Amino acid sequence: MNRRLIIGLFLCVALAQVGVPLSMILRRELVLTQGAYFKFETAPVDPYDAFRGRYVALAIKEDNVPAITDARLSQGQRVFALIGLDGRGFAKLTSAVTARPRGKDYIQARVRYVSEGKLYLDLPIDRYYMEEGAAPMAETVYREHVSRDKQDAYAAVRVKDGFPVIAGLYVGGQKIEDAVRQKATPPKALYNKQQAP
Amino acid sequence: MNKKGVKWLYQELPELVGKGILSQEASRKIKEYYGEVKSASSTAVALIICGTIGALLIGLGIILLLAHNWEHLSRLTRGILSFAPLVIGQALALWVLLKRPGSGAFKEGSAAFLCLMVGASIALVSQTYNIPGDTGTFVLTWMLLIAPLVYLMEASLPAAVYLVGITVWGGSNFEYPLKAVLFWPLAAVVIPHFIWSLRREIYALRSAILSLVMFVCFSIAAVFSLGRSWANSWIIIFPSLYAVLYLVGQLKIGGFTTNWQRPLRLLGSLGLFIIAFQFTFLYVWEFDAGNYALSGRSVLDVRSLPDNIITLAIIVIAMLLFYDNVKRRNVIVSLFGALPLLAIFAYLAGSGRGQEYLPRLIFNIYLFVLSVSQIMGGIRKTSLPALNTGMLMLALLIITRFFDSDIGFVLKGLVFIIIGIGFLSVNVAFVRRGGGAR
Repeated sequence: MNRRLIIGLFLCVALAQVGVPLSMILRRELVLTQGAYFKFETAPVDPYDAFRGRYVALAIKEDNVPAITDARLSQGQRVFALIGLDGRGFAKLTSAVTARPRGKDYIQARVRYVSEGKLYLDLPIDRYYMEEGAAPMAETVYREHVSRDKQDAYAAVRVKDGFPVIAGLYVGGQKIEDAVRQKATPPKALYNKQQAP
Repeated sequence: MNKKGVKWLYQELPELVGKGILSQEASRKIKEYYGEVKSASSTAVALIICGTIGALLIGLGIILLLAHNWEHLSRLTRGILSFAPLVIGQALALWVLLKRPGSGAFKEGSAAFLCLMVGASIALVSQTYNIPGDTGTFVLTWMLLIAPLVYLMEASLPAAVYLVGITVWGGSNFEYPLKAVLFWPLAAVVIPHFIWSLRREIYALRSAILSLVMFVCFSIAAVFSLGRSWANSWIIIFPSLYAVLYLVGQLKIGGFTTNWQRPLRLLGSLGLFIIAFQFTFLYVWEFDAGNYALSGRSVLDVRSLPDNIITLAIIVIAMLLFYDNVKRRNVIVSLFGALPLLAIFAYLAGSGRGQEYLPRLIFNIYLFVLSVSQIMGGIRKTSLPALNTGMLMLALLIITRFFDSDIGFVLKGLVFIIIGIGFLSVNVAFVRRGGGAR
């Protein structure tokens, strides 16, 4: 191959290599600045991803809608879940449709399964990345809250044109990062006090 | 003539000339005839290996550092960090292309580094924006972005990474056979590079590594993408796949002689032997062909079509290569290559209940013939490795059958005695021809 051609092609490939992450960023920045704001109740647990780092997996509580009766759905099929609000101000999926809705807030999701008149969805809100040491602690923080009957963990999500981007994860009304930091510091402070004369 | 032989000859020449067996003139003519022995200098190979491993380690280290997920970094900083390693990798590769276009070590190393940096970049963006955990899409995006490097940088490591990556992607689509089957067209992208690397003799190491990766990835891919709609399809698919790899390894590309330089031949024959050995066990044949449909598809379903076409293509290629070897009377090669044909026959004949004995009989005889012919071939070529391989194959077969609890003692005993007599008669025949033990 001609050397000039190789360099030219390489530059094209390099452009694509930069372009893909760049477009990923731009699309999400757009949603974060312009998208509608929702709070999805969730339960964080802690797995691991070797390449992308540690994250807490999010199990969205309201991940089902009444089944669509007039269409046959197959697993993995794309549907659009409409978002409404429940009495406490949390997001609630009200129904699912197969055609892209207009003028309403919705999330594009995939069919997981249909059972007893309910359609369960794979929502594209399934993980929240945290700092290495923080992710396991986040799970503990959440569990403590649950045991005290304060099940108020939610993911703040911005949605635009069916595309959701997680803006933050909250437990007990504060950002999970802050809650983890608080949990990490008190024992040390206590220890220092006891040592003081 | 192989390189080793020529090298040996060249070492011997001075002594032969010194003892007056050859004249100076003859020695010079011999050297002229065979030409200079070219071989990759060990420093060049060491450079490639060290350079590549170094680049890989640094790349992986950067990925790990980014994976720590530094909390106090703002989105902007993370954005910049997503591109910095990538751009550095690209600049490095570009520099190599401009300044060191002839250096295999630089090309291989910088391409490997760039591959990892592309992954690091997408991973960091995924992390920053909590992108859903769809491993398949993440890996596929990554692989498509690095695939061109295989050709632009003439580097084999990206090809190996690419093969592994698309295997992961295909595997993650196990539940969607129509997607999983796309592994094969995706894999075809690196085949021209593979042939190119086989032709370049000095890189025996890299075609060997590439072959190994290809062999493993193809085997895994065959499980998740081929024959998904019919019972025990592996009985036909794996022999065909391994036969293709083995017979392609036999093709004369360049002037390879050793197993190390012909990894496909070695791996293919190993695969074929293991499969044939499996076929001698009862459990393989205890299946019910009638009651089976994975993913709710039948063989005749339109959605099974891509899968069936690729499966059929592999079988047909195996048959054509087999036919070619039969025509050229390559006995041992043809014997290995005959496995798919036997497998198809056994599959059709042995799928009914109470028919299980037939395929097992076929493959016991097949393995026996195969190992004996391997031994004979070894004796004829006075090749100890070939002879030992044949002996090992035969020993394995004999030991397994001796302890096989499915067959009655009397029958087993009789068969062993008959085969023993057979061996002795062969020996006698050899003695008569003057070639065996006296």
